[in-house]
Amino acid sequence: QHKLGRGSRDKVQQFMAITGASEKVALQALKASDWHLEGSFDYFYSQPQISVTNSRHLEDLYSRYKERDADMIMVEGTSQLCNDLLVDPQDVVMLVISWHMKAATMCEFTRQEFIDGLQSIGVDSIEKLREKLPSLRAEIKDDNKFREIYNFAFAWAREKGQKSLPLETAIGMWRLLFAERHWPLIDHWCQFLQVRHNKAISRDTWSQLLEFVKTIDPQLSNYDEEGAWPYLIDEFVEYLTENGCVQRNK
Amino acid sequence: PGCGPFKHRVEVDPKFFDKSWKKLDDAIREIYNHNASGLSFEELYRTAYNMVLHKHGGRLYDKLAENLKGHLREMGKLVEAAQGGLFLEELQRRWADHIKALQMIRDILMYMDRTFIPSSKKTPVFEHGLELWRDIVVRSPKIHGRLVDTLLELIHRERMGEMINRGLMRNTTKMLMELGSSVYQDDFERPFLEVSASFYSGESQQCIERCDCGEYLKNAEKRLAEESERVSLYMDAKTADKIANVVDKEMLSIHMQRLFLMENSGLVNMLINDKHEDLTRMYDLFKRVPDGHSTIRSLMASHVKETGKILVTDPERLRDPVDFVQRLLNEKDKYDEIVSVSFSNDKTFQNALNASFEHFINLNNRSPEFISLYVDDKLRKGVKGAANEEDIETVLDKVMMLFRYLQEKDVFEKYYKQHLAKRLLSGKTSSDEAERNMLVKLKTECGYQFTSKLESMFTDLKTSQDTMQSFYANLSGDSDGPTISVQILTTGSWPTQPCATCNLPPEILGQTNMGNADIKATFGDRKHELNVSTYQMCVLMLFNSTDTLTYKEIEQNTAIPPVDLKRCLQSLACVKGKNVLRKEPMSKDISDSDAFHFNDKFSSKLVKVKIGTVVAQKESEPEKQETRHRVEEDRKPQIEAAIVRIMKSRRVLDHNSIVTEVTKQLQARFLPNPVVIKKRIESLIEREFLERDKVDRKLYRYLA
Repeated sequence: QHKLGRGSRDKVQQFMAITGASEKVALQALKASDWHLEGSFDYFYSQPQISVTNSRHLEDLYSRYKERDADMIMVEGTSQLCNDLLVDPQDVVMLVISWHMKAATMCEFTRQEFIDGLQSIGVDSIEKLREKLPSLRAEIKDDNKFREIYNFAFAWAREKGQKSLPLETAIGMWRLLFAERHWPLIDHWCQFLQVRHNKAISRDTWSQLLEFVKTIDPQLSNYDEEGAWPYLIDEFVEYLTENGCVQRNK
Repeated sequence: PGCGPFKHRVEVDPKFFDKSWKKLDDAIREIYNHNASGLSFEELYRTAYNMVLHKHGGRLYDKLAENLKGHLREMGKLVEAAQGGLFLEELQRRWADHIKALQMIRDILMYMDRTFIPSSKKTPVFEHGLELWRDIVVRSPKIHGRLVDTLLELIHRERMGEMINRGLMRNTTKMLMELGSSVYQDDFERPFLEVSASFYSGESQQCIERCDCGEYLKNAEKRLAEESERVSLYMDAKTADKIANVVDKEMLSIHMQRLFLMENSGLVNMLINDKHEDLTRMYDLFKRVPDGHSTIRSLMASHVKETGKILVTDPERLRDPVDFVQRLLNEKDKYDEIVSVSFSNDKTFQNALNASFEHFINLNNRSPEFISLYVDDKLRKGVKGAANEEDIETVLDKVMMLFRYLQEKDVFEKYYKQHLAKRLLSGKTSSDEAERNMLVKLKTECGYQFTSKLESMFTDLKTSQDTMQSFYANLSGDSDGPTISVQILTTGSWPTQPCATCNLPPEILGQTNMGNADIKATFGDRKHELNVSTYQMCVLMLFNSTDTLTYKEIEQNTAIPPVDLKRCLQSLACVKGKNVLRKEPMSKDISDSDAFHFNDKFSSKLVKVKIGTVVAQKESEPEKQETRHRVEEDRKPQIEAAIVRIMKSRRVLDHNSIVTEVTKQLQARFLPNPVVIKKRIESLIEREFLERDKVDRKLYRYLA
């Protein structure tokens, strides 16, 4: 980050005071208007996404859920948040929210993640967030967003310091994700993993599975052995063929 | 008229032409009547000359033609009238007459030939005479057919074994050739080839019903020789290849499959029974036949593969590894001889053989182990133990040929190391030189890495020996102490086997399953020195404090693993002449409830008795699994290294190309499994050496 000159810093402060927006938003608007204060207001108000969030409120909200002895929201806080939102902690919307927040770990939020995340969603209170829940849930239906959320989920659901995802967790995540985006083979996949694999899931396997779901039809008619699919997926296809779940012409 | 200079006065005579012509006409008649001697060449020549000079060349030419035709017709009638066998003779006679006549006529009319003919573009006299002979005599309807039929008839009779007049044949065909190569070809050669084809078609059909493959081929060979001789005796040389092709086709090509596959006499039978002569004949005969050699090759290859497969998968054979390999070598010898003697060392056949051997040897995944055991056996026993008088060197060279066929050379390496170690440590090698020779061969074949560890094993041995010598040199005659022999082993060079536990009487660190010791033992009043393995030593030492022990007690006290312990006890109690222990009950196998007694009735003619050396043995099933597992584990890093090397140089590559390249790089040692390669790629992705391309998921990128 390059250092701001005195004049620029003043402008940022002014902007924040007048609009109630965060420093981040202020910088964005000022940069977009080439550091003209009037122009930056025009910019700000013409951007519908940058809705008015009060940084004060956000700080308060954060304090409500954060740990007593640490500058983080942890399991308890998350649980409380879910309660206040009137959602089940297993609800997929929590995943979507975490994605917006770019949360590093499940059930944990840093101050930055929480505040910036809510800001980018455009809310600064529990009520407003509650109102937004349906539209957040709907984001899963969007192909591009789903892919991002899906791939995000891998790192998010991981244990700290681990490279792979434990099988149980992975299965849980897959069930959650594919409940929203129907994949006929999800049950076979989970069964196969439990019977045959019993090991953690690598990132490559995780991301390639989505490709598999998107491009290969449930009867596997367009599955190509030479398709450089991860070994686990090749095994899955074998498993399906052996158990008569699909008819393949070899 | 008389001789003299040629004067103009002749031209005014209106009858000049007719008179002149009459002279010639009469002369020609005489010539054809064999009365040429009374003629004056000079005069006739002059006559013709004058005629041409006075511009009568054209008329002369025409008259000549008429004249010749007349004579030819007469001759033709004579030929037609000839009966049966005299037909050809008459034709020949008349032909000879005609040729002679033409020569003379040409000489007489030489001036016309030289001056009038070129400018008028007419056919020269002699040639013209031949053409007329061709058209009027040879191709006359009454003669032509008969001529061809007669020739073909005679040839047929000769084929059926009769003697015919070959001189007459030759002259006749020569005549046809002189009439023009197309005459020979159209009038004789073509029909000849046609009837030959149907003759040999019939002949081959009969023969193949009657004869077995060998006899049939002999017959074909005979026929080919006959035809060749026939052509050289009375046909144009160019016919030789053509008739050979006909015979090849009718006798060989058409019946090729049936011949090769004939039961009890075909190609396979010849191979099995080493019928070199028949095989040589087959090879030579089918050289020219389309697909002949390639068919023989592929039949041979599949036969070798089949018998080879039976050999390597026969459970009986697998009990004795040395015998197993010996059979392979015998098989190789057999076919090498066939290729050398019968197939004139044809490289393509040699290659087909190699491919077949490679195929079936690798059907049995114990081949590498067995080949190593074979070498082990030979290096222990030396020349004296060899089955025949072959030099050890020759045997090892042959073994190397088998080695080259192995796809899993790394497995061989593992076993060779183990076996070599056992040989060296138990001092059981018959010839140091032979050992080193073998190493040199392996190094030549596989490179330095293959043999560097093996070589250092030898160095260790030398060091051990030198050290032991100087150790004993330094001892000041303390001969009561136990003698020890120590082998120095460089860690890393020697194959480690899961080093089993074993309670040793004194604490000696080392590979407890490989060393040996000399023990002094007293049986009754006899003293013997026993050379035993470390395990055996441990067991025997127990009997210092008691005469009887149960199996369980021995197991407990020595902590030797059961499989090894049972083998050890067997060698101490169940081998005739070496039973220093007595087993109760006296059965062959060791069971947990057995008891062992010190056998004070043991006796031997020798003072020093060798009991059970540590012999390399065919591995038991669990040992085999263990070794294979380790080989598989060793392969993983090699595969990964290959992938990384390739990706580093190519940067971006698709999955199938990686598999191909990796296989190419490693095939000198083993054939990598594509599934394993895939797993290694995924592992490398996980460890961020590689990544998938964002756009094309089949592509991988190298991450620097």
